[in-house]
Amino acid sequence: MKKTTKYAIGFSILLMATLVFIAADHIDAPGSMATTADIADYFAFEPTEDSDNTTFIVDLQSNVLPDLAYGTFDEDVLTEINIDLDGDLIEDAVIQAIPRNDIMYFFGPAAPSQTGLSGTVLVNSPLGSVAISGATAVTETTDSGVKLFAGPRQDPFFFDFFQFNAVIDPAIDSAPGGFLPPSEATDTFDGANTMTIAVELPNSLLGTPTATNALGLTVYNTWITTNRKQ
Amino acid sequence: MALATITLLESCNNDDDVMAPEQMATCDDNIMNGDETGVDCGGSCNPCETMGMNPDFTGTFVQVDFMGRPGINTVLSADGATKDAHNVALPSEMVAMFQTAFEARLEQYHDVYAAKLGLDPADVNYENNILGLDAVTVTTVLAADVLQVAPDLPTTYFNPGTDFDNDGRILVPDGDEVALTGRMLSDDIIDVSLILLFGGAEGDRFSGQDVDMDGTPDLPRLTSDGVGLTADILTDFPYIGDPE
Repeated sequence: MKKTTKYAIGFSILLMATLVFIAADHIDAPGSMATTADIADYFAFEPTEDSDNTTFIVDLQSNVLPDLAYGTFDEDVLTEINIDLDGDLIEDAVIQAIPRNDIMYFFGPAAPSQTGLSGTVLVNSPLGSVAISGATAVTETTDSGVKLFAGPRQDPFFFDFFQFNAVIDPAIDSAPGGFLPPSEATDTFDGANTMTIAVELPNSLLGTPTATNALGLTVYNTWITTNRKQ
Repeated sequence: MALATITLLESCNNDDDVMAPEQMATCDDNIMNGDETGVDCGGSCNPCETMGMNPDFTGTFVQVDFMGRPGINTVLSADGATKDAHNVALPSEMVAMFQTAFEARLEQYHDVYAAKLGLDPADVNYENNILGLDAVTVTTVLAADVLQVAPDLPTTYFNPGTDFDNDGRILVPDGDEVALTGRMLSDDIIDVSLILLFGGAEGDRFSGQDVDMDGTPDLPRLTSDGVGLTADILTDFPYIGDPE
């Protein structure tokens, strides 16, 4: 990975609150920004071609700018991966992750205790657990073939965010040419880290989808949430 | 556990130092014995890590942040109040809540560049994109903010394709596209999003063109931010390199 000088620029939380667009979901809104529950990014993919597994990667927190919450999973924050099979945009199953004593515990996939904005940990549907990693990744593979990981990783998101903010600045003389050519553009997230939760599991555990995308292909509708203990 | 008990019974019966039945290992005798690796856990009992500390998972948890497709809230929600509302909303309600505001935001971005180009904002508007979607449709699709993942197809957030025939179009829909099937770590979702929002029907509407060929671009470059993946991507789970 290319090393770049990280942002000596003294961006304050106050200034960040005025920025229109930060990133994929990093620091996206005043209410969640810079908290331990702030979602940074989300990926879902087939790990290898023709695989019968799906990999979900959830990134929480970020150290891309100073003074952000970063480095420790919060025991009061439940992370959920929501799966809609039938296309009504209501979760049919959830996968949950929550830390306790340096271990990340996973539950599901199973129907949530209730759909909607609040819920409980599905203690009767344990999926497995994995020690929260330090700098070196420690992974766990359960008897049912589920792979689990939780810990710090490089932030794989890439974006010239400083130039973007110049682009969307309505001032007439702000970036009139738009984005920079590759030789001048800079990936703001080069060198940043994030707190990653990763789950890879057989599609058979997720159920059979009937939902379709805009091209008519059969898909799971998925989204992630962080949920704070009341 | 029953199988383990039988096995132990047999081994006990074959042992010259005959053990009384009440001393045989079980998973609820409060002693670390048999093949257990902790008190009543590990070996043929339940794993220690889920029993040993009896973690407390009680309580009600309420949504505080949300993400489906990358960048939706951050790009298309115009202000802090809308962004906060989006993070505590449900996908099934999002089109009704946000589509109109997203469409206005999309037009606002075009107005900003109209002003920078010295044009009347009324003359610079969103044009149907490479998927042929008009402003209402594209903001409706994006407002239902879920990441769609195909279990049986290769994953690509969207592959804008290559202009093999040099006709200026980077994607010529011919019915066999595989797209919107998830998101790889390497997918350039920023460029894809920019192309869908500012690229027009050919994907290159605002791509820094030098229209009068004087060596200086005449249109802004809005369809690519010019950067690619810099993080280390691994072949094995969890696929992302060690922190820096």
